[in-house]
Amino acid sequence: MRLLFDLPETEQKVLDSAIGADEKLMYCVPFNILEDKFVDGFVAITNLKIYKILNDQLLASYVIKGATGFKTEVMYGSCGFYANFGQGTTLICQFVSGRHLPRYSVLVKACEILSEDESKTTPITNSEQERFCPKCGRPFVRGTNICPYCLDHLEVYKKIFAMTKGLRLMMCFPFIVAIFNVIFQFVVPEIQKLALNNYILNTANHGQSDKMTEFTLIVIAIVSLDVFHRALGVLQSRLSAITGNKFTLMMRTILYEKIQSLSLSSIQRKSTGDLMGRVNGDVGVAQDFIVNQLPNLFVQFFSFLTGLIVMLAISPLMALFIFVPIPFVVFLISKFWAFVQLRNRRLWVLGQRTNHLLQDILNGIRVVKCFGREKSEIERFKDGSVRHANQNEANAKVFDTIFPLLGFAIKLGSYLILWYGNYQVFHGDMMVGDLHQINSYANIIYAPLMYITFIPRNISNFLTSLSKIFEIIEENPEVQDINLPLDIRIEGEVDIKNITFGYESYNPVLENVSFHVNPGEMIGIVGHSGCGKTTLINLLMRLYDVNEGAIEIDNVNIKDISQNALRTQIGIVLQETFLFSGTIRDNIKYAMPHATDEQVIAAARIANAHDFILNLPEGYNTMVGEKGYSLSGGERQRIAIARAVIHNPRILILDEATAALDTETEKLIQDSLNKLTENRTVFAIAHRLSTLRNADKLLVLDKGHVAEFGTHAELLENKGIYYKLVMAQRKMAQSVIEQQGIAENA
Amino acid sequence: MAEQEKKQAQPAKNDKKPETKPQTKPKNDILGDGSDDGDLILENQRVSIPLTPENATFKRSGGDLVSLDIINDKGEPESFERVVILRSFPVTNPDEFLSVREPDSRKQGRGKEIGMIRYMKDFDEETQKLFLEELDRRYFTPEIKKIMSVKDKFGYLYWDVVTTAGHVTFVLNNPFSNIRILEDGRILINDIDGNVFQILEPSKLDAASLKKIEIYL
Repeated sequence: MRLLFDLPETEQKVLDSAIGADEKLMYCVPFNILEDKFVDGFVAITNLKIYKILNDQLLASYVIKGATGFKTEVMYGSCGFYANFGQGTTLICQFVSGRHLPRYSVLVKACEILSEDESKTTPITNSEQERFCPKCGRPFVRGTNICPYCLDHLEVYKKIFAMTKGLRLMMCFPFIVAIFNVIFQFVVPEIQKLALNNYILNTANHGQSDKMTEFTLIVIAIVSLDVFHRALGVLQSRLSAITGNKFTLMMRTILYEKIQSLSLSSIQRKSTGDLMGRVNGDVGVAQDFIVNQLPNLFVQFFSFLTGLIVMLAISPLMALFIFVPIPFVVFLISKFWAFVQLRNRRLWVLGQRTNHLLQDILNGIRVVKCFGREKSEIERFKDGSVRHANQNEANAKVFDTIFPLLGFAIKLGSYLILWYGNYQVFHGDMMVGDLHQINSYANIIYAPLMYITFIPRNISNFLTSLSKIFEIIEENPEVQDINLPLDIRIEGEVDIKNITFGYESYNPVLENVSFHVNPGEMIGIVGHSGCGKTTLINLLMRLYDVNEGAIEIDNVNIKDISQNALRTQIGIVLQETFLFSGTIRDNIKYAMPHATDEQVIAAARIANAHDFILNLPEGYNTMVGEKGYSLSGGERQRIAIARAVIHNPRILILDEATAALDTETEKLIQDSLNKLTENRTVFAIAHRLSTLRNADKLLVLDKGHVAEFGTHAELLENKGIYYKLVMAQRKMAQSVIEQQGIAENA
Repeated sequence: MAEQEKKQAQPAKNDKKPETKPQTKPKNDILGDGSDDGDLILENQRVSIPLTPENATFKRSGGDLVSLDIINDKGEPESFERVVILRSFPVTNPDEFLSVREPDSRKQGRGKEIGMIRYMKDFDEETQKLFLEELDRRYFTPEIKKIMSVKDKFGYLYWDVVTTAGHVTFVLNNPFSNIRILEDGRILINDIDGNVFQILEPSKLDAASLKKIEIYL
């Protein structure tokens, strides 16, 4: 992210005259709002002061040393950058949120550092992506780094050309066919002319049998040309289907493989819908362009050009008749399409809204009925439907009027030719066959016009889609295996050594966390929501890499262990159990596809899932997931546990695995968990402390730091956070289970 | 980052990134609070009181923002160096139900509500002016006076407009959901940067301007 903008000349002068000799400019970012006006100002931060500059004025300067309370505040439509310089909280500047908020968040951190120690003159950096093109300031295509305006077209073409290796010969074929097509288009009218002039209209030849034979030959020529033309067409369609398929398959495979290999962090930056769009939509657009549009473009252009040359050769005056209306027609068509597109889009949106409303109401039908709101919902839906219907009608009316008019405009040239051609025929200057030929050519020339207006839009869509695809293909996974990763057999000793981590580097979620776990120990992790528990687990699974410090398993840094070896030896049960569509057997086998049925049953037994599975109609072959049998939360959870333990992992992670369940089910699952935790290193996150009653040690996290670490007894003796939590929960918990659990252990 | 967004619910503000650490919840005396459900989130709830000229005095703070002195529900005086004023209904009822809150802080997390002003007009003119100053800053919603051009390119709408805050260009994505027509006929436009623009009386725009946006309404 850019944190040091270049000041324009005037502003630079202002800063130069204000800044002291011992000051070093470290950050400079724009601000956009001053009182009730939009402005283009800058906030420059040196190691000593903050300067607020607008045009040729220094609006304010603040001494950073000793200042407190640096922060950004999100307001309605804008954000503020605040700090307290001694006289109370002051608004330093106000800025547009979407563009600059991440920047100012970094500045907050930067100022905090400087307020304590002005000698730290190395600016902090931030790797977060910009969302706006640095060249032109326009927004990137959502979720990408692509500015459709500043895209280097040549670069994209080069890349796509490199990717078509192996398909090139096939891809050339449509072009060859295209040339034949065009030649055919121009040869047939020539023969037809011959037929008309020499045989059909030439009455002197009528009745002569040898002429009849010649004429038959001509007919045969036309017919065989047509057959040849169609045969080529069939071949081309088939080939483009094949090439298209191969291309799509190749792109999708590359993309999908890449997405799977990318780190969680970069995937989470993009939405599921966006990624799906790239694998399906964008690949489709690229395929369509390469296989259909490009050859078509070539044909249209080629025939237009040939038409032009041939017409000029035959009759320059007629050519003029054809070409004069063209600019007008092109202008008309492009205007017309802009108009149509907008209306169609509006219709689509209205349709979407109605659909959405319908879906919403149907989903909430129970609520609607319970509150007796059927009538008003009917009204609401009717409103939407009526708007949609009205728009549809209006569109239809407009289009049905404009289309014929457009057709007429395009034909204008032909009418001129008809008129002038007949004039010449009447005067004997031209044969009927020639007129027919010229008219055919005119039609050939006009046909591409409709298409030409689409070209810019098509090309830009194609390029944008391609760059979206390449962006993923070229991305480097943030979490990467080292050159020769170790495939160790994990025993289960875990050493967390002074780790610091934040999803954004300026905003650490965990800071200086250290603790040691012996093999086979169960560690309970406790803390407020957002204190970094799940983050700790993510780091342990190496879904992210730590910013500082190291995580060691059996005295090997996890960065040196291959990701595959690491994750196949760690089992995890999450609070939200996601089961894939498929049978229960498939789901349990997920982490170990070659598991035997015996192993599946064993895992299910450990998870206390065997009994309920057998009571399902199809036992282990029952379909679950979105379209399958609907299981209860506890049942799903137990399948998830079976899935986590089938490969007998050395380290087991339970991330609030039982939080969503009622106490009865929890008890059941707890029993199964107790079986699992034997001889395994276990990390268990839980809100209900009773869940952790078997834990050997407890880790209390508070605001990203280790607050307490030790056994139950030790922590209770300490009377710290854990003690308070236990007391609070004991006080509240009236249920027998809870009381038993804590009382026994306390 | 996705995780962070999930954690912090921000009502009334869509598409905004939370600006502070969400993971810092104040540590409170847990034993003193019996109303919780067994979760670890136990917070000392400040009791929000109705704020009237009788129990609350708003003043311009040292940093040119708003400070507040109140007599709290226990009858004790309490002062706040700076308070934030939020509208409960920024769109439909901007001058009533103003929530007066402690500012959010990076260390303490979300600010708590100190009290609520039922009607802004209950306070004297000077104070109302102070409120409006703060509210106008917070709810910066320039009014569009004239539309120079609206261009549809690559799926985004590029606007060039004259507003009460000056001549600006801005970008919209998905115009059909980011242009909202309210019941009273006002139009609200949310741009890609998070700015909010409004058109108070669309019918009073000049014909040329109106024509440019007609299709999106």
